[in-house]
Amino acid sequence: MHRVIEDRLEQVLAGNESEPAAAHLASCEECTTEVAVMRQHREMLRSLRGPEMAPRAGFYARVMERIELQRPISIWQLFFESSFGRRLAMASMAVAVVFGFYLVSSERFAQPVEPQTAISSVGLPDKDTVLVNLVTYREQ
Amino acid sequence: MSGLLETIPFPAAGERARTRTRVDHKTSEESDLVRRIQAGDEIAFRAIVDRYQSKVFSIVYGVLRNHNDAEDISQQVFSKIYFSIRNFDFRSSLLTWIYKITVNECYDYLRKKRVRKLVYESDFSEDDAQRMEASDPAIDPGAPMDTQLANRDMVAKLLSKVSAEDRSLIMLKEVEGHSVEELAQMTGLNENTIKVKLFRTRQKLLKAAQRLNRLRT
Repeated sequence: MHRVIEDRLEQVLAGNESEPAAAHLASCEECTTEVAVMRQHREMLRSLRGPEMAPRAGFYARVMERIELQRPISIWQLFFESSFGRRLAMASMAVAVVFGFYLVSSERFAQPVEPQTAISSVGLPDKDTVLVNLVTYREQ
Repeated sequence: MSGLLETIPFPAAGERARTRTRVDHKTSEESDLVRRIQAGDEIAFRAIVDRYQSKVFSIVYGVLRNHNDAEDISQQVFSKIYFSIRNFDFRSSLLTWIYKITVNECYDYLRKKRVRKLVYESDFSEDDAQRMEASDPAIDPGAPMDTQLANRDMVAKLLSKVSAEDRSLIMLKEVEGHSVEELAQMTGLNENTIKVKLFRTRQKLLKAAQRLNRLRT
């Protein structure tokens, strides 16, 4: 397309071309063809003009429903609100209860150990030193 | 991109230089609503939905010509507005911004529909696929019944070949019937920039039409 048309394209397409543009179009086949196709496109674009319409009643409620569905989930919501999070919490609680029960029961059924047995079970290399320490130990 | 375009002198600038009529999109009543939504006020969002639902629905229906699709895409448009209004920077009018989102959603929908169709048709040979590209309508899978349908089909195909920005600008000009001056006010761009952008978009549409015609013959 030549400059003389390019510069005034919007006016030319609207049908109110200036004298130089009209004179050029009368003599230039290339520009005439391109302008004709662009006018055709203009008409085609206008076919997208729809009648003034409105959505069904309750549109806002439906939009908000969709927004709630699309709202991004935070990491905390993932743990506290999703079924996965609830299952994870239940499993953690079950593990804690079992572990607690084990600790309490192992404490209750443990046999009392004599101090000498305890010392001997440590396996110190020099028993005499330990005995001397025990004999000389005084409460302050 | 727009900054670059503004530095390119438009040929007609010397002949009829026009300066942009600056519209301050930050101080309108609408901008207060936007700020309230940005602060999390859902009543303000409801006001925006009430104000623009018919406009958005009509635009979508104009492109898709199907009530259910228009309802679905309109809901999606407002959902997008809700989540991305924090990024609205008041450089253009709210209507321009909403218009762009609406047109984008329509063409995203058409593109996805087309991809689904192509996946279904992937068993065909490349020649068959090319013939379908040239002949199959993008909106309605059935053959166009009259010129109006054929035109809408063709224009949907052509518009899918240009960028989202160019598409919304040319639609604001030709479908909504805004003048170059109005477009400059709405977008916050220079009138000459608008003219350059429109010219380039028209050229792209012309080339896309030539390509489609070549495929058809």
